[in-house]
Amino acid sequence: MAEEQKKPKKRMTATQAAASIGHMVKEFIAGAVRAKAEGKQKLAYTFIVCHHEEILRALDVLPVWTENFAGVCGAKRDSERFLQRAESLGLSRSLCTYALCGIGFDQWREEQGQMPPNAPWGGMPKPDFMISTGQILCDPRAKWFQASQQYMPDVPIYNMDLPYPLFEKDQDHRDVWGYYHKYIVKELRGLVKFVEEQTGKKMDYDRLKELVDLSDRTWNLIHETYELRRAVPCPMGTGDAMNTMVPINFMMGTQDSYNFFLNLNKELKEKIAKQEGEVENEKYRLLWGGGLPAWFALSDFNYFNSKGACFPAETTYRMVAPLYEMDIPETNDPIEHLAWRWLGYWTFWYDKARKRPGSEPDVERLISLIENYKIDGVVMHEAFSCRTWHVGLIWQLHQLGKIYKPIPVYVVTNGKKEKTHRELPSLILESDIIDITSYSEVDTRNKIDAFIETLESIRQNRAD
Amino acid sequence: MSQYFAGIDIGSTMTKAVILENGVIASVIGHTGPEQRRLANKVMEEALRKAGLSFDAMTYIVSTGYGRINVPFADKQVTEISCHAKGVSSLFPQARTIVDIGGQDSKAITIDTHGRVTNFIMNDKCAAGSGRFVEVIADTVGLKLEQMGDLSLQSTHPAQISSICTIWAQQEVASRLAEGVPVPDLIAGVHRSLADRVARMVKRLKLQKEVILTGGGGKNKGLVKALADQLDCEILVPPEPLITGALGAALLGRELYEKALNKNLPLETKPRVLETVQIL
Repeated sequence: MAEEQKKPKKRMTATQAAASIGHMVKEFIAGAVRAKAEGKQKLAYTFIVCHHEEILRALDVLPVWTENFAGVCGAKRDSERFLQRAESLGLSRSLCTYALCGIGFDQWREEQGQMPPNAPWGGMPKPDFMISTGQILCDPRAKWFQASQQYMPDVPIYNMDLPYPLFEKDQDHRDVWGYYHKYIVKELRGLVKFVEEQTGKKMDYDRLKELVDLSDRTWNLIHETYELRRAVPCPMGTGDAMNTMVPINFMMGTQDSYNFFLNLNKELKEKIAKQEGEVENEKYRLLWGGGLPAWFALSDFNYFNSKGACFPAETTYRMVAPLYEMDIPETNDPIEHLAWRWLGYWTFWYDKARKRPGSEPDVERLISLIENYKIDGVVMHEAFSCRTWHVGLIWQLHQLGKIYKPIPVYVVTNGKKEKTHRELPSLILESDIIDITSYSEVDTRNKIDAFIETLESIRQNRAD
Repeated sequence: MSQYFAGIDIGSTMTKAVILENGVIASVIGHTGPEQRRLANKVMEEALRKAGLSFDAMTYIVSTGYGRINVPFADKQVTEISCHAKGVSSLFPQARTIVDIGGQDSKAITIDTHGRVTNFIMNDKCAAGSGRFVEVIADTVGLKLEQMGDLSLQSTHPAQISSICTIWAQQEVASRLAEGVPVPDLIAGVHRSLADRVARMVKRLKLQKEVILTGGGGKNKGLVKALADQLDCEILVPPEPLITGALGAALLGRELYEKALNKNLPLETKPRVLETVQIL
């Protein structure tokens, strides 16, 4: 079994761009190890989706994405030994398994004074400093590095707080977001000061502005590129998007990320011109409606494909909207812009949700994707160890089913055939982000088979 | 010439076969062992013997259940979700929610007025949400599984079983037994605990009446009562709750055959041969 777990089935990608990602990730993990050895660049542990990496890059700091490394361990089915080590340190398996994997790895490396044996893709080097980025629900982002610091007490932490106004049905978030903006700007300026102290360099604000502009252009290009997936047949699915999330989440503020999406954009347009879909005979279009993927089981996307199902859209690792559609104030100060971009990102669906009775921002986003991408069903993944992204998924499906019934069907009531509308069918997969002990391929695929049969049954009963 | 359709359901614990002509003419239930293919052959042979038919007489065969791919003579594989829906709907046209409590999993299915699946949910992660829970406790209190239902109905004060894991619950039951808690109360508590877990799963779907209970759980009167209490509605149970999946498989086989016939489409079938299979 252990041997079997070490050999994940390679997921087939639909696009050349997605196929190139493995090498890219391997290279930037190896690049961090090289940079550590050369000592020319400072390394910072940090987290994704925090709108702060332009600051790090402007001060020539190399970010080490600890979640990415845990995901790599999971995808290589090599996380178990680090999870077990974290458990032996007294941490519960029910905590975030990304954090457990990272803490177990750090403790092992620091105890040995070298990388753990056969560390995935060369391992994760000891950082010069760590940047925690507490968000509203994700407590590991505040606590993970504190726990790791026990094993590397000489590595300082900057703990940055990134709140945003919560959705209120009867209050415009713009009434209060000025206060949030002021607070986030203060946090980001604190980060600049901290990194300046750690690197001995002064921030070049012109360079920072250039990097922020580059990120913004990349952001819009990503949105436009992903919108190409509306095409029927769909040229690229969520399986590939779980690869192309790398330049979105780990490489923003770099020309490489921008170039990557230029190439992907071109590739998708070529596929669309040739009517080349991810699936040869596309029957069902599904929405990945939430949840991080099970990194060790990405070949499940191929299994969906084998049943004629593609995933033209997902809510995970995707820009909510292009920046030009966000109603955020203009500013020439890059720090102020980063704070506005953060607030725009989280509050984008608030206005639309207020207009539809019973809706919520996350539900509104689902509806928008369902309509724009001609979706037949919704699939979600409930990863037991990640509360941040997974709390509320089932509730979202319930709300969606209550307020949105797009499928016309016939029902027989008291012997009379009547036309009515029903909700989209949905499937919830259950396992974890990197803990393979939570996963059963047989059970998962049995559920997928049953879901495909349900989609077919509903299609045959459509009343249009 | 008569048409005969077979459904074979290889579950994690039991294997079931049904042969259908106009109605059910034979059904067989056997324990699934590690050699699922061999048992598939065995129950099929037994069903054919009961029906007085030769294997060649079978028009179309559909397999279902976890072991559905291990039936080499099946013409088509369909999941147990669709088959339960079809089977239950044929017995209870008014059914809208099916709860299946099997040996190692439980599931809930909602169906429409045509018996088509509209939604489903499965618990395959935790033994405490399946029939295995009751089996383990039956062993602990020294009873046969089939005694559990009637005995639990004698309970006046069902015990509170607080452990949410089968193994811990087993220990809890053993210690409550030592404290002198009456066996009927303990068993009723166990049924309530299982029903509570299953009901929480069912409520994740939109519960609609009538509610039908299938699987081994349907044979346990105490569990039926506990589930009815938890869901606050009447629970109907088929005369033989174990065979609804196999029945549905046979019915779907007939539908597929008739559809192909009506549309003049080819329908592929497998050779009607029971191959000798030995895996272990």
